[in-house]
Amino acid sequence: MHHSALKTVVMVGMAALCMARGAETAQTSTSRTVRAANAFLVTLDQKQRQSVAFAFDDEKQRVRWSNLPVKMVPRAGLSMGELNAAQRSAALALVASTLSRRGFEKVEQIVEADETLKTREGNNPMFGKDLFFISILGTPSEKDPWMLQFGGHHLALNVTIAGERGVLTPSLIGAQPALYTVNGKTVRPLGGESDKAIALLNSLDENQKKQAILSFKLADLVLGPGQDGKTIQPEGLKASSMNEHQRAMLLDLMSEWANIVHESSSVARLADLKADIHETWFAWSGPTTVAAGSNITAYYRIQGPRVVIEYAPQKLGGDPAMHLHTMYRDPTNDYGRKGAAK
Amino acid sequence: MKVAAAAMFLGLAGTPALAHRLDEYLQGTLLSIEKDRVQAQMTLTPGVAVFPLLLAEFDTDGNGFISETEKRAYAERVLRDLRLGIDGVRLMPRLLSVQFPAVEEMKEGRGEIRIEFGADLPGGGRERRIALENHHENRIAAYQVNCLVPRDRNIRVLAQHRNYDQSNYELDYVQSEIAQPTAWKAWWSGDLGLLSAMALFLITRFTVAWRGNHAR
Repeated sequence: MHHSALKTVVMVGMAALCMARGAETAQTSTSRTVRAANAFLVTLDQKQRQSVAFAFDDEKQRVRWSNLPVKMVPRAGLSMGELNAAQRSAALALVASTLSRRGFEKVEQIVEADETLKTREGNNPMFGKDLFFISILGTPSEKDPWMLQFGGHHLALNVTIAGERGVLTPSLIGAQPALYTVNGKTVRPLGGESDKAIALLNSLDENQKKQAILSFKLADLVLGPGQDGKTIQPEGLKASSMNEHQRAMLLDLMSEWANIVHESSSVARLADLKADIHETWFAWSGPTTVAAGSNITAYYRIQGPRVVIEYAPQKLGGDPAMHLHTMYRDPTNDYGRKGAAK
Repeated sequence: MKVAAAAMFLGLAGTPALAHRLDEYLQGTLLSIEKDRVQAQMTLTPGVAVFPLLLAEFDTDGNGFISETEKRAYAERVLRDLRLGIDGVRLMPRLLSVQFPAVEEMKEGRGEIRIEFGADLPGGGRERRIALENHHENRIAAYQVNCLVPRDRNIRVLAQHRNYDQSNYELDYVQSEIAQPTAWKAWWSGDLGLLSAMALFLITRFTVAWRGNHAR
């Protein structure tokens, strides 16, 4: 066989293998999540199972999430504090099965931050690891849509699983303190979200900055909890006015949220975000510098046809760099409604 | 002064001030533009430190309960502190609804008051400017104003302008001509349409008669 023909056959074979592997990975991912859900459910007694389970169309439970502590905005489901060690381990294994490795690590760091806050506040019962809730809407299935919620103070993960695809929007990802030390190691749960954003801002020329930097202050999220189904007019710098390198930086910044969900879903999500990149906007409000090793204290927003990301430092309780709220939405597919409708 | 003192008191008292809004009164407004109407949803969140002062504004008879009358009266007061206009003409916002959370929720800094209002827009040119000024509780306010993407595809937002604290907001938009199918429908339903139909009828009659004569 001619050398180039052989090369083509090998490449086609490898591509087919990769595609088959990809399909297998996606299938394995959903089936693994379903297995993890069932493994968690069998550890529970009857009463606990009733507490954790909701109908898939339970709209009240679907929107029962917040950035606020659970003592202020009560969540439903089962709290980690109500579970024994085996149940808790199974619950976290279920959460981990829907997320990427870095996504789950981020979640663990946000929960750990709340535990740190509890300690710093003199063992304040309003915070801590025990106050994160898990709930399941619908029946875990590889085909029919269902939903996993995990959240508490500064965290609201809403993962809708419909067939092979998991959808993470809307989710609230925050942290307080947003910088802390564990065993001598500095942890910044949302460090990438801060560092990549300031790097993107610094890559802009003066004319681009004039468009990106808003002339007014923003005190909080615009589309936070309770603002489902709304799309605001985009502002700032449109990515079509960025160069290729800057667009790649913007996509990389968005990946901090898009890559939280399991790889089997994030690949498609990132492809969507990349396809829309020229129609995506970047807006910034607040200080344009950051102390070394710290988080930015500016608000920023990324908005495209299928994404809204907001990063909003809070001045409540002192240093805004230590108290962050971020919101991740898909105005066309929050709660995975597109997949669930099929 | 009172606000600062209240914030200090709460900080010393060890309340969960770390977790929520403290010394601000967040007032977020989302505007929705239609062809002949503007509607807005305001979400007002009192911080824990300023809530004691605001409670007196809500519960005017001081009985510890915010009645429906008091809720409506407060919402009307908020609307009086707004200045809404289009193309330099002042509009009178009409209260559509008001919802209050429980007093306890607001005391903890987690309660949101929701006010909806609207106003009819007078006819105007193709390019229009809506202006909204908010002076409600300006000593403690944190304002946020945004426009929702218009549902009507004939309306296109051109620009949004705000001052630094967002107490002054202007929205420039363009309203395109009436869509073609509607114009076609209007043309047919008007006098011109009737005349055209009559002309078409006469031409057809004439053609048929002419063909008949030639066939013979």
